[in-house]
Amino acid sequence: MSHIRNYKENQTKIIIGLLAFFFFVFSLFKIGIIDERILQAFSRAEHLVKGMFPPTLDEPIDIFGAAIQSLQVAVMGTFWGVIFSIALAVFAAKNLSPHISISYLVKGFAAFVRAVPALIWAILFIIAVGLGPTPGILALAVNSIGMLLKVYAEAIEEIDHGVIDAMRATGASKFQVIMQGIIPSIMTIFISWSVFRFDINLRYAAVLGVVGAGGIGWELVRASRVMAYDQVLGVTLVIFGMILAAEMITRYLQKRTDLVNVRASQ
Amino acid sequence: MSEVMLETKNVSMVFPDGTEALKNINIKIHRGELVSIIGPSGAGKSTFMRSLNLLNVPTSGEIVFEGENVTKAKGKQLRHIRRRIGMIFQHFNLIKRSPTYQNVLHGRLGYMPSLKGGFGRFSEEDTEEALAILERVGLGQQAFKRADELSGGQQQRVGIARAIAQSPSLILADEPIASLDPSSSENVMNYLKKVCQEDGITSIVNLHQVDFAKQFADRIIGIKAGEVVFDGKPKELTDGIINHLYYDKITV
Amino acid sequence: MGMQAEKLEPLKVEAEKTNLLSELKRRKKALLFNKVMIWSLLAFLVVWSWIGTNFSLSFLYTGITNITVFIFTNLLPPDFSAIPRYINPALQTLYMSYVGMVISVVLSLFFGVMAAKNTSFHPALAFASRSVITFIRAVPAIIIGMIFVVALGLGPLAGTLALGIGGVGILGKAFADILEEIDKGQVEAIRATGASWFQIMGQGVWPQFKTGFVAWSLYKMDLNIREAAVLGIIGAGGIGYTLQGNINLFQYKQASVGILMIFALILIVEFTTAKIREKIL
Repeated sequence: MSHIRNYKENQTKIIIGLLAFFFFVFSLFKIGIIDERILQAFSRAEHLVKGMFPPTLDEPIDIFGAAIQSLQVAVMGTFWGVIFSIALAVFAAKNLSPHISISYLVKGFAAFVRAVPALIWAILFIIAVGLGPTPGILALAVNSIGMLLKVYAEAIEEIDHGVIDAMRATGASKFQVIMQGIIPSIMTIFISWSVFRFDINLRYAAVLGVVGAGGIGWELVRASRVMAYDQVLGVTLVIFGMILAAEMITRYLQKRTDLVNVRASQ
Repeated sequence: MSEVMLETKNVSMVFPDGTEALKNINIKIHRGELVSIIGPSGAGKSTFMRSLNLLNVPTSGEIVFEGENVTKAKGKQLRHIRRRIGMIFQHFNLIKRSPTYQNVLHGRLGYMPSLKGGFGRFSEEDTEEALAILERVGLGQQAFKRADELSGGQQQRVGIARAIAQSPSLILADEPIASLDPSSSENVMNYLKKVCQEDGITSIVNLHQVDFAKQFADRIIGIKAGEVVFDGKPKELTDGIINHLYYDKITV
Repeated sequence: MGMQAEKLEPLKVEAEKTNLLSELKRRKKALLFNKVMIWSLLAFLVVWSWIGTNFSLSFLYTGITNITVFIFTNLLPPDFSAIPRYINPALQTLYMSYVGMVISVVLSLFFGVMAAKNTSFHPALAFASRSVITFIRAVPAIIIGMIFVVALGLGPLAGTLALGIGGVGILGKAFADILEEIDKGQVEAIRATGASWFQIMGQGVWPQFKTGFVAWSLYKMDLNIREAAVLGIIGAGGIGYTLQGNINLFQYKQASVGILMIFALILIVEFTTAKIREKIL
């Protein structure tokens, strides 16, 4: 019996493997990757790479101003995303929602918002509210809600009901149960997801300029349009530095907090 | 016999799906007693205990605690009743990520204004008291550790400490040792009995294990299928009754 | 003696009690300092960004109302006659995502194996590979896409390569991390038989690596379809290009068909990868 099952399982795996392979070859042809361009690419790449070095930030004077604006857009997008997600998560979590249908409604909204990529939200918001940092902030906030609302609601749903019972049994008020029981239980999950989302938002904020929503991405578009490859590389390096620095700072703060907490608990 | 501190009158509980969990339970608990409720799982022990502080609301009947009608209490009055009844749970139900002393301080929430308690502004006397209680249950060294860093037995002692911090006149312990190994079980029961005696607290303990009930309780109540089938001294609990309680399918 | 002991006992308890309390205060102070520092840093960041971006609470209101009005009057109802125009770009997006994934997997296998301390040939090589992965991870795919558009011209080729190389940031790190966590004992046992590097990889490492490998690769496919959908905006092929075209021409009702197609594409791919995951794992 198990032989037959093994054989069948292997067969499915082989079929999936073959399908995957044929689909790959088919896609290669469709994309036109097998093209003389790929050969030309080497010479063009050589030209490009030569043009890139040394990287420069000469022409776009306010590159750091643009980088700071991207950072600020990411902060504001995350801030509003977190605020709205917390407010909505109360309605989305089955154990707090006033009615189960409200929970499904809010979760459905989150799923929809999540399935539309952030850059497309940015395009829509640019049409709706005009150019500048505001559409970027709103697009990031909306896209963050799609993700954070889901994970916040799940965190709330996973709260041990016994913990709430225990707090109620001490004679604690509803407010006290929330502040002393529920929030400490979900705080770490909330924080780690919010920090994670900030990292994502910063990456988006860096490219929002591509669709005209301001920030450092716009400098990149401008430089590549005038074929100033040294500037393209310069701006790319600034973006790289910005994202890496932000990641290192958040990681440092998290580590430090962990350390302080561990020290305080020994 | 001493004064009656808790009385249930015809307490019944029917779940939404129609299951009769409790059928007309009439019990009087006297001040200073350590009463153990025994019975097979699903008999309604837990439901009964949770109805005493209205975590579950009984469908009908009346519960009177220290002269106050619990079943009719709402809002502030209910919270004031609850703070005089400490509760201990099978799964400890501590806030895992909060430090041990904080979990003990939660026992003081019922005595504090809502905002002050919510923001954790516990007074120095309360904090001192909480630390002293932790020393009493032998956990002074663990006061600052996160609750989930403690062993099961230690966590349950924090549960006891939280209940004691309420300065209760009654403690309800719902299967306090069901998730512990035998030696921690003995240890936890000893601490529970000790602090109750020292502070003159009445206690009701749901127990799965008959031997523990016989060892620690002053009085045993047997519940089967939502009804009281035994109420008496530990020595009156014969093997026949135990058999009937746990194994007989037919109720007499 | 007895008297002394009686007197000493409560004293000791008293001392311990105040000790614990002062200890608690000290610890709370340390925690408080960290908390205050982090929260004020956050508050500063928000206020600074608020001012820097000229944000105003009214933008939230106008933003929400405007986008709602825009969605309901301009985007809806979708003009379904635009579907034929979107089918080819949608398929192209799918091909790009898929080939991009395969390229990332191949490249990531190489960089991952080199970056993991226990499978790499040399610590310096491991460090270099980790650095490459970190660099790629910090550069968004769309920027890599722009560079490829410059190098290869407009079209799906640029997008595909951007996805393929950009994916190394995620997959390379994931593969290296999985490799570093595998059970050494099993590998040692095979090494002890005198097996070659390839034999060790095949017999000792692969069985432990397989599950994570498949799961992460499929996850990358899920991510690619989202990224591929927007790569078209910079001219790197796929559905985003057509969508951008419709939007530039104010053909919003046709653009909404494009958005729905992206939506459908994402759902279909996620459904399929979930099914494959079930079948294989």
